[in-house]
Amino acid sequence: MTHTAPVGARGVLVIPAFNEAPRLPALLARITALETGLELVVVDDGSRDATAEAAARAGATVLRHPFNLGYGAGLQTGYKYALAAGAKCVVQMDADGQHDPRDILRLLAPLEKGECDLVIGSRFLAPTGYRMGFTRTLGRRFFVALARAFGIRVTDPTSGFQALGHRVLELYAGDSFPSDYPDVDVLLTAHRRGLVVREISVEMHEAERKSTLHGGLRSVWYVYKMLLAVWAASGGKAK
Amino acid sequence: MSQSQELARLRELFLDNPDLEATRWLALAISLALVAAVLWLVRRRRLREEYTPIWLAVSAALVFVSFRLDLLRELTRAIGAWTPSSTVFFLGELFLVGICLNYAVRLSRASLLQKNLAQEIALLRADVDKLRARHERGA
Repeated sequence: MTHTAPVGARGVLVIPAFNEAPRLPALLARITALETGLELVVVDDGSRDATAEAAARAGATVLRHPFNLGYGAGLQTGYKYALAAGAKCVVQMDADGQHDPRDILRLLAPLEKGECDLVIGSRFLAPTGYRMGFTRTLGRRFFVALARAFGIRVTDPTSGFQALGHRVLELYAGDSFPSDYPDVDVLLTAHRRGLVVREISVEMHEAERKSTLHGGLRSVWYVYKMLLAVWAASGGKAK
Repeated sequence: MSQSQELARLRELFLDNPDLEATRWLALAISLALVAAVLWLVRRRRLREEYTPIWLAVSAALVFVSFRLDLLRELTRAIGAWTPSSTVFFLGELFLVGICLNYAVRLSRASLLQKNLAQEIALLRADVDKLRARHERGA
C-alpha cells in the first residue's frame, strides 16, 4: 500500500454505496449527529449518480472506484483504507437505510472491550419487527445450518452490519475476500483462523430499494457460488 | 458373418483406407496458415509473445501428423475410434477444453489484479483529494 491516509481516531465507519445519492444524505446526517468518533468513509462503487458528491458534501472521506466492482470489493476498499490509516477497527453498514446508526456504538463495545474479533449485528438473535420473505428465510436458514456445520453459531450470517477488529481486517484485506457477497465463506475463514465471532441483536428496517440479489435465478446462482466458496474456505489457506 | 464381425471388418476398411495426398497438403497448408496468423498477430501487437508457444506447438503437431499419417492411424486403432479424422476431432476437443480452462484461470487472476488496481486507484485518489484540499487551504 503506497498511499498516505491520515490515522483514524477511534476507527473507521465504512459504507459501500452504489447509486445511493437520494438516500445517502439523510443517513450520513443521522450518523454525524451521533458523534461516534469514527471516521466516516463512503466507498462509491462506480455509481452513475451523484453518490460521491453527496458523501463529500456530508463531510465523509470518499473512496471512488473507477468502475463497479461489487459490494464485497467496496467493503474491502474500506478495510484497506482503515489498515493504511492505522485504524484499530471498522464498523460497516449498508447505505440503503436498512441499518440503524444508533446501533453502531453497541456493535463496537464488545470489540473495544477485547471480548471478540468480529461482531455481527443480527436481525434474528432477539425478536425484532424485521420480516423476511419466504425465499430469503429459506436461504438464511440454510446458511445458518451451513455455518453451524462448521462450528460457527450465528443467527444472521448474511448481515452486512458488522464491527471488525484489526486481525479480521488484516485477514479480509487479502485476495481470498470475495468481490460480490461476503457471507458464510468469510465467516468460516475467520473462524478457521481462530478469530472470535459474536452476535448482538440490532434493529433493522426494510430497505427502501429492494435487493437485486434475492429472487429468481440469482438466488440459485448465489447459493451455488456460496457453497463453492464455503468449500474453498474450508480447505485452502486464506491469502 | 455375425453383425459384430461385420462391424469389425467395416472398421478395418475405414482404417486401412489409403492416405490421400490431398489430406497431407491440406494439413500442411492449415498449419502454415496458423503459423503465419500467429506471427502476424505478434507483429501487429495483438498477441503477446508468451501466448504464442501453444499455437506454434499446435502447428508443429499438425505438420508432424500430416507427414506421419500412419501414426495417426495407429492412435485411432489404439483408442478404438473408426477413422483418423474422428481422432483428430477428439484431440482437438480435448485441446479446446484444456485451453478454455487455462484461459478461465488466467481471467480469474486478471480479474483479481484488476480489482486490486481499481481499489488502489480509489485510495490514491482520496489521498490526492486530501492533499489538494490541504494545499488549497494553505495557499
